Amino acid sequence: MSWSGRLAGLLPRAAAGRDGDDDGTEPDPRFTFANERTFLAWSRTSLALVVAGLGIVQLLPPFPGVPFGRHVLGVPLIVLGAVLAVVAYGEWVRNQRALRHGEPLPRSLMPWILAATIAGMAVISAIVLLVSAIR
Amino acid sequence: MTAVPPAPKHRRDGGSASGRDPASGGPAEPAADDRDPQERPGLARERTTLAWTRTAIAFAALGGVVLKENVITGLIILGIAPLVWQLGRLPRGDSPSGLAVVGTTRIRLITVSIVAVALLALLVAVFGHSVPGALR
Repeated sequence: MSWSGRLAGLLPRAAAGRDGDDDGTEPDPRFTFANERTFLAWSRTSLALVVAGLGIVQLLPPFPGVPFGRHVLGVPLIVLGAVLAVVAYGEWVRNQRALRHGEPLPRSLMPWILAATIAGMAVISAIVLLVSAIR
Repeated sequence: MTAVPPAPKHRRDGGSASGRDPASGGPAEPAADDRDPQERPGLARERTTLAWTRTAIAFAALGGVVLKENVITGLIILGIAPLVWQLGRLPRGDSPSGLAVVGTTRIRLITVSIVAVALLALLVAVFGHSVPGALR
């Protein structure tokens, strides 16, 4: 048996009616694939945020006069990466359910969350840099 | 708002290249081949497989970054990468379209993996040995 077959055998089957995956009618496969790709794109965004946060904390030189400056910038990015992954899963479930019931796709909160957090991080970065420059 | 054209008739095999309906063994709908190549589910499947591959590469890249700071954590994250790649190549099950059976499980696995990796990265960031100035 191939590795893929063995791995598939290890995975539990989706419970009926849970997560909107078995109820309703089967949508066009292209829409299901597109939903999956969107989830994967958000997953990669999450991983990129984790890498960015880790890079800031571990690799950037310390900010003079701001002892925890790197942690203030890096840790929220890592946390945002985890939050984004969980929200992406919720969005995938909601979209899948809407597709299976022929309903309009729900409005996504994720671009708003990402934009607000990046803007907030930009403001915090500017503050840290200013404080570091003044001291 | 742009109008969405009506979806073409559903191909339940998700786009096999054999030209035969796998459920019945009979010939596929003749209209299926007349569709625009961009609309064939087979290409959607291919794009999705590539997306899984990119996600696996992203895990590997993160593992490489962490490896420089913490070998064990980095190896754990690097080990997730081939698993993610295999998840993307899983057979889609025996549901009518073959899409739903392991779909939720693997999406959930990816979510759990990313949260776990983020927690590991958090531990490395807070308690790990840093190399300040490496990006100077």
